[in-house]
Amino acid sequence: MEIGEEAEVEETLKRIQSHKGVIGTMVVNAEGIPIRTTLDNSTTVQYAGLLHHLTMKAKSTVRDIDPQNDLTFLRIRSKKHEIMVAPDKEYLLIVIQNPCE
Amino acid sequence: KSCQTASIATANASAQARNHVDAQVQTEAPVPVSVQPLSRYNVPRLAAFLRRVEAMVIRELNKNWQSHAFDGFEVNWTEQQQMVSCLYTLGYPPAQAQGLHVTGISWNSTGSVVACAYGRLDHGDWSTLKSFVCAWNLDRRGLSPRQPSAVVEVPSAVLCLAFHPTQPSHVAGGLYSGEVLVWDLSRPEDPLLWRTGLTDDTHTDPVSQVVWLPEPGHSHRFQVLSVATDGKVLLWRGVGAGQLQLTEGFALVMQQLPRSTKLKKHPQGETEVGATAVAFSSFDPRLFILGTEGGFPLKCSLAAGEAALTRMPSSVPLRAPAQFTFSPHGGPIYAVSCSPFHRNLFLSAGTDGHVHLYSMLQAPPLTSLQLSLKYLFAVRWSPVRPLVFAAASGEGDVQLFDLQKSSQKPTVLIKQTQDESPVYCLEFNSQQTQLLAAGDAQGTVKVWQLSTEFTEQGPREAEDLDRLAAEVAT
Repeated sequence: MEIGEEAEVEETLKRIQSHKGVIGTMVVNAEGIPIRTTLDNSTTVQYAGLLHHLTMKAKSTVRDIDPQNDLTFLRIRSKKHEIMVAPDKEYLLIVIQNPCE
Repeated sequence: KSCQTASIATANASAQARNHVDAQVQTEAPVPVSVQPLSRYNVPRLAAFLRRVEAMVIRELNKNWQSHAFDGFEVNWTEQQQMVSCLYTLGYPPAQAQGLHVTGISWNSTGSVVACAYGRLDHGDWSTLKSFVCAWNLDRRGLSPRQPSAVVEVPSAVLCLAFHPTQPSHVAGGLYSGEVLVWDLSRPEDPLLWRTGLTDDTHTDPVSQVVWLPEPGHSHRFQVLSVATDGKVLLWRGVGAGQLQLTEGFALVMQQLPRSTKLKKHPQGETEVGATAVAFSSFDPRLFILGTEGGFPLKCSLAAGEAALTRMPSSVPLRAPAQFTFSPHGGPIYAVSCSPFHRNLFLSAGTDGHVHLYSMLQAPPLTSLQLSLKYLFAVRWSPVRPLVFAAASGEGDVQLFDLQKSSQKPTVLIKQTQDESPVYCLEFNSQQTQLLAAGDAQGTVKVWQLSTEFTEQGPREAEDLDRLAAEVAT
């Protein structure tokens, strides 16, 4: 049972990582600690810590404006690439994509 | 309806601190980031999470890939500076009175101090010339352009200078006598920290350039690498009571140069090849490029093992470092610079007035630009814009090239000296990226503030640089 799900996790992350333009993929837990990543350790630690904070802030912003609402997705566009965060109660999925121009 | 604020009541009282406490604060070098191990996690819950979000993420990735919503959209976060302007004109009058030139310039690790070395770069016997190393702290209030914050008197002409990469007050200099010295500018009474002295190991010719390198295995300790026209590349470490000891050495011998390019034949068999400039790759810490008196750049490695065929005495066995020889300039090279953004690109400039852009993968240069009818003394890649570099010419100007705008002529030409006396050295400030310092033959250091176009990377610049490097000449 567990082996099948572990393979499923790997397959899903590989699918996302091999999407056009994706530079890096990582999964971060509720404490901001990275648990899976395709980037090097120091970059991962940096992204995980900073984006965890930002996601929490974005979530509280949405809920402060309307308590019935909640954050579903966060996208940050910068000069060089786009960072996408899919938040959840226990995990965050962070994908960094270099968009086509 | 109207409203009126009531008059404000004021009262006077005085306060005086009775007890004093003294405390001292000292910053320490940062501890290197430790690797975070991937912790245990709950597989079924992670699998469930990924099942929930995968579809949404793939949809967003697709949308983003096809979107033209942000085409041409640019945001300006900083105040736009349109022109290049001279912020400071610094000089040390006693050095200028002796007719000394600024031979080397360096910014310190915090980007707030600029130091210059005084000496002479023209031909002549400068062995008895006393000179100076001066530093100005640009962030200090009451900066006096004629009065450096630190001055070190040196018994011989200093030809090159380099600040320590992490210690803000340590600076290494190479002398006309062949010695390498390291000073601590925060100790005005006795700044000399280490010296090589005049031993068998020391260079027998003036030192052309000094560079700090991290020690292998100890990334927070550094060694000094010096190159000179005697053909030696030497690595020094500070030991004990102020002595710089030779840890590794390399010697360039004509016979041992790789024959990847046809070079002019030399009458004698074994001749030293004078090294005039060095630049380390930002991607491979053991790979470096040497500029030579013969005008051909050499690709070298610190890991080279072959022994050098030289009779020069040395306490450490000298090795032959060259792995590849590039096509030569029409005269000696004075400066080389490796691109901080592309692992294969580097620039070289020399007495033929040309700048060559080389790829490490082939001998002939990718492109050759004539920037001056006289010599070119320095060339440096911009630390922030992948397609920009600056060159210092013998005609007294600093030329800024933006390969994105024009590959033929400079984007900006800054006249540094009024009488066309040469500009000998220039350095970008990596912390305050709008600053560029240049030193000239009149003994003046000018700190230029660059316009915003030179300090902010455009959206596709790194890709444009890759494309430029891929245009390999056939």
